[in-house]
Amino acid sequence: MSNLLNSILSNQSIQPSIQAKTPEFTFDADGKVKPLNYKGKLLPSRLFATPKEYAHDLKQDILSIGKAAKGKANDYELGRINDVAMKLGSLGLASYLFIKNPLKLDKAMQFIGFGTFFGGMALWPKLAIQAPLRARTGVDIHQKYIDSQGRKKMLHQDPQYDLTDLYSREDLDTMGEKLKVSDDIHDRDNFIKQRAKKTAIQGNTLWMMSSFVTPILSAMGCKALEEPVGNLIEKGSLISSAINLEKGMGPVQKIKNFFAEKSLQRFLRKNSGKAMTDELISQITQKLGDSANSADISAAIKESLKQMKQKPALSADMVSSAIAGIKDISSEKIAAAMTNPEVASAIESGSVDKVADLLSKAAFDGKRTGRQSQVKSTIKNLINKSIKEQSVSDLTDEVAGKIKGLQSSLLSFSSDRALLDKYLGARVVEKDGTFIARQWNRVCTKVLKILKLNDAELSALANGEISVLDKKFTQLAADSAKYEQAIAEITKLINKYEAQLGNASEGDRAFISKVQAKAHEMCAKAVKGIDSDDLSKVADAIKTSENTIVRNAGERTMGAQSSFYRLLQTFELYKQLDKNAGGDLTSKLTEALKKQGIEPTQTMIDKLLKSCKHILLEAKTTDYTEKLAANNFNLSQNEYKAVMSVLFDTKNKSTQVKRVLEKQFGPEETAKILKGFESYKSQFREKVVNWENPMKSSFADYLLDEATHSPNATERSNLVGSTVKDTIQGCARKMKNTKFWTKMFGISLAVITAATLIIGLTFGRKSKMEKQAEQESKING
Amino acid sequence: MFYKIGVQNNTIRGNNQVSFGKKESDKKSVCENHDRLLVEEMDKHPISTSLKINAEKLTNAFVKYPIKGFKGSKNANFYQFLQMGTVPYLLGSAAMMAVFNLARIGFNTPNAKSAAKLGNKMALGVAFYGIMKNLSKKFIELPVKHVRGIDVNMPYDKIVYELPEKGNENNLVQHENHKAFESVDFPRWDLFYNNEYFGDERNSYYKKVSEKFGYDPGEIDHSDQKMKSVIKETVVKTKLFTTLSSYFWAASAVGVAMQEPWEKMLFNPIQRLRNLKDHAKIKKVMPDDFFIIDFAKKLGKSFGEFIGVDFGKIVKNLKNHEKITKGLEKATKTQVAGRVLFGAALGLTVLGNFFALNDFSKDKGSKTQASTSLIDDSREKVVC
Repeated sequence: MSNLLNSILSNQSIQPSIQAKTPEFTFDADGKVKPLNYKGKLLPSRLFATPKEYAHDLKQDILSIGKAAKGKANDYELGRINDVAMKLGSLGLASYLFIKNPLKLDKAMQFIGFGTFFGGMALWPKLAIQAPLRARTGVDIHQKYIDSQGRKKMLHQDPQYDLTDLYSREDLDTMGEKLKVSDDIHDRDNFIKQRAKKTAIQGNTLWMMSSFVTPILSAMGCKALEEPVGNLIEKGSLISSAINLEKGMGPVQKIKNFFAEKSLQRFLRKNSGKAMTDELISQITQKLGDSANSADISAAIKESLKQMKQKPALSADMVSSAIAGIKDISSEKIAAAMTNPEVASAIESGSVDKVADLLSKAAFDGKRTGRQSQVKSTIKNLINKSIKEQSVSDLTDEVAGKIKGLQSSLLSFSSDRALLDKYLGARVVEKDGTFIARQWNRVCTKVLKILKLNDAELSALANGEISVLDKKFTQLAADSAKYEQAIAEITKLINKYEAQLGNASEGDRAFISKVQAKAHEMCAKAVKGIDSDDLSKVADAIKTSENTIVRNAGERTMGAQSSFYRLLQTFELYKQLDKNAGGDLTSKLTEALKKQGIEPTQTMIDKLLKSCKHILLEAKTTDYTEKLAANNFNLSQNEYKAVMSVLFDTKNKSTQVKRVLEKQFGPEETAKILKGFESYKSQFREKVVNWENPMKSSFADYLLDEATHSPNATERSNLVGSTVKDTIQGCARKMKNTKFWTKMFGISLAVITAATLIIGLTFGRKSKMEKQAEQESKING
Repeated sequence: MFYKIGVQNNTIRGNNQVSFGKKESDKKSVCENHDRLLVEEMDKHPISTSLKINAEKLTNAFVKYPIKGFKGSKNANFYQFLQMGTVPYLLGSAAMMAVFNLARIGFNTPNAKSAAKLGNKMALGVAFYGIMKNLSKKFIELPVKHVRGIDVNMPYDKIVYELPEKGNENNLVQHENHKAFESVDFPRWDLFYNNEYFGDERNSYYKKVSEKFGYDPGEIDHSDQKMKSVIKETVVKTKLFTTLSSYFWAASAVGVAMQEPWEKMLFNPIQRLRNLKDHAKIKKVMPDDFFIIDFAKKLGKSFGEFIGVDFGKIVKNLKNHEKITKGLEKATKTQVAGRVLFGAALGLTVLGNFFALNDFSKDKGSKTQASTSLIDDSREKVVC
């Protein structure tokens, strides 16, 4: 080849294009071209590339794609494009799943999954193979070099393409020492290079054979990051929803509203002057309803639009034809009455009432009788009916103007409402990933941790075996240190929750008043915007929605609070059941039964004690409506009353819990918590357990009550809250699954890592043949 | 070693039998063995040849090459390293399926059920990813093969003479399954010369390709010189777009696997096998339980959901042209994203076909003269 090259270069007149490049060549003494000096060099090893390197590589990759599209790229560039495409495709998929998943945490996890997967892919060989091998043998199996064309490659990628000449003296010495290559052998450098190459082949093979661990690493990484990321998102949405609520509509919403307005305007222009048929009204309602985002408001809009049809002016002909054929007035009388100037002026003024009055009087010759007033109302109805039938109106500019005004009010209202919904969603909506759901999860996890369950107990609890919970609560009540810790931890978490809703001292009350003020402000603003009388129904619907918003927020807060108090009450109950700690539930029950006029037996007491546990651990709203009949307790009215009076006794100031709380939080804080607790109990007693509440004959009746939206039903179910069993069982399931999953894949990962590290230890050792060869090469040998 | 390009005969084996591994010819002296295209095998038995090649590659990747690699053999090479890449690809896919499915054996029934919903989808996602990533490449490669006569996947049997290790000198001839155009820097042009499969002449292959590109082979002086650059450009473009599009096809396939219809699929092979024995049960469940039909239906429905098109409605309204839009429902945000992902895959494939099937440099050069020919065809060439 060099001959060919020399002949080309010497014959420059034939190849003028190569002439320009000649200065790059160097010539030997015979005037022959010498090979170019190499510019390749090793690159320093780093765990991550610098941002500058990333930017440079990215630029090169983009240029490569351009080159490849023209068919000019080389193998190296195509290889890099493959990596870029893989990342682009994966990002595309992550973005798709980001959009597909409704929850913020799930959304975030898509990109975290992408990151941990590629991160795991890059880090695994570095940490499990490259780093230990480098520390032990001095050979960096992922040593990179940059070649004369500026391409970055791995030095040991192709063992048949020997680039070990790029190693510096220092590199060789370090490797030689670590690989224990004798100092006194011929051609020592070559020995070292061969050993380095061998080690690299072994390391690269291990890399390929163990990389299947990447999905497990990625999954473990995601699991580890899920909690902190969830916390960040939770805090983020709490803060951002509060700021956005104060700030009002954001730019994105403004743009959306702008387009919604334009779309309606286009639609109104297109249909301008057309008759307001029912179909057109429906279309307009749909467009406005999209802005309102509420079924009630949409219905009000439709009704209002129908009423906006223009009424025809009252005329003598119209009146005559409307009342023609009426039995009580002969046509002559009608004709005569019509000539009456009084009637004419009434028709002109458009007053249907006056016209009907005058005509009916004319029918009975001016006499006011009962019959006359009947005829009057018949005439009035007939005229009104006729007016309604003849009311055909067009989509005039005036009507269009009213619709536009309504839309702008509705858009602003729905934007404000969306912000308020987000604010409430972040705080009181119990959905996966929201503050309240996560806080409850924390509470339950804490309880489970304090209860110290072994695997079998956790499993039983996850399966809903209530006996485990009963046993554990009993044990907890007997251990005062743990008992205090449990109550303190839970109360702390709940306090945090209340502080998050409003200020720490007022808690949820401050929160509700804030929601109320905001809801009132936005509804008032919207109603003010709708000044036309024709649209009063829409204004009313908006006013009603104010109450709905506040009520929903209140109910949700109440539900969360009730669940907490119920847990606290359960703790209290188990302390009262513990006779060693001065628990006096049995004596209280006996006393209560006596008050009801029953002489208690031991069986009865046992049954009632059992029902007490059931009420706090498992009872749902239906249990109260059916007075615990469903669970075969078969309590008589007096027994039921006795149990409830003991459990929801507001006179007994929760002494057990009080003592613990005072120790942990001081008297002031305790008083606050207990005030809420007592108020909960008294409300519960009044609204839920009251025997006089209608006794339902069946569950279906109860559901029917729900179906008619009886406010009592919702309030009752909110007061009952979620059962201790359900909450703890759900949490136990989650905990058990996580434990099982982590154990399974944690062990797999540990085994694979250990195997990789151990196999790595065998690399770089001298084989018998190598030892022999080394021996034979000894200078003094 | 010297051998003459002009004399070398890249012909196919006489008996047309497909056989791999140890070959009769391996016993020949080093100079008598040479690389050869598997063009006839691929033409006559495309499926069995591909399967055999892949099976051999797979066993080598899992057994032969790792053993060599762990020993640090001096005969280890880059090809073997790349082949071992199949191991993490397959085992990693299995690990991914395991991560989402294996743990549910320890879950409680309701959790296991909801985990199964996700697990089904994830397992399908992994499978769909692999299938579409490979299958989608054919959307560009096949048109290129048929229109331009260039098979970018043309396999060849490469003979590797290894260095002796530990006295195993008798086993020095190794076979590797390569592709003639796997390197665009160094395509195996030599294998196409004097290949009887393409014709009697030395340049038959290049002449055939030149014809497909619209040249008159009789008018081109050096069809090989002229066509090599054109073929190379086509191969580069094909590779670029197959690579780019394949990841978007794979991503779209995962998107399809993530749709709701798969949640209801009870993919329980053991249960199905048990049912197979019980004819009464089969008859009872047959209409709904026929796996392939059920699978195909779900696939169609999922794809429809993925891009927001109701194919059922479109088919129903086929005769009613005005109502055909009924099937194109108002797409949700997710479906718009699905359309974008699928559109990217489809767009890149269409673009790939456009670029790869167009010869942009055709009009720039002379049609009859090889522009960069440095080789005098009349001289015998010697390469070392």
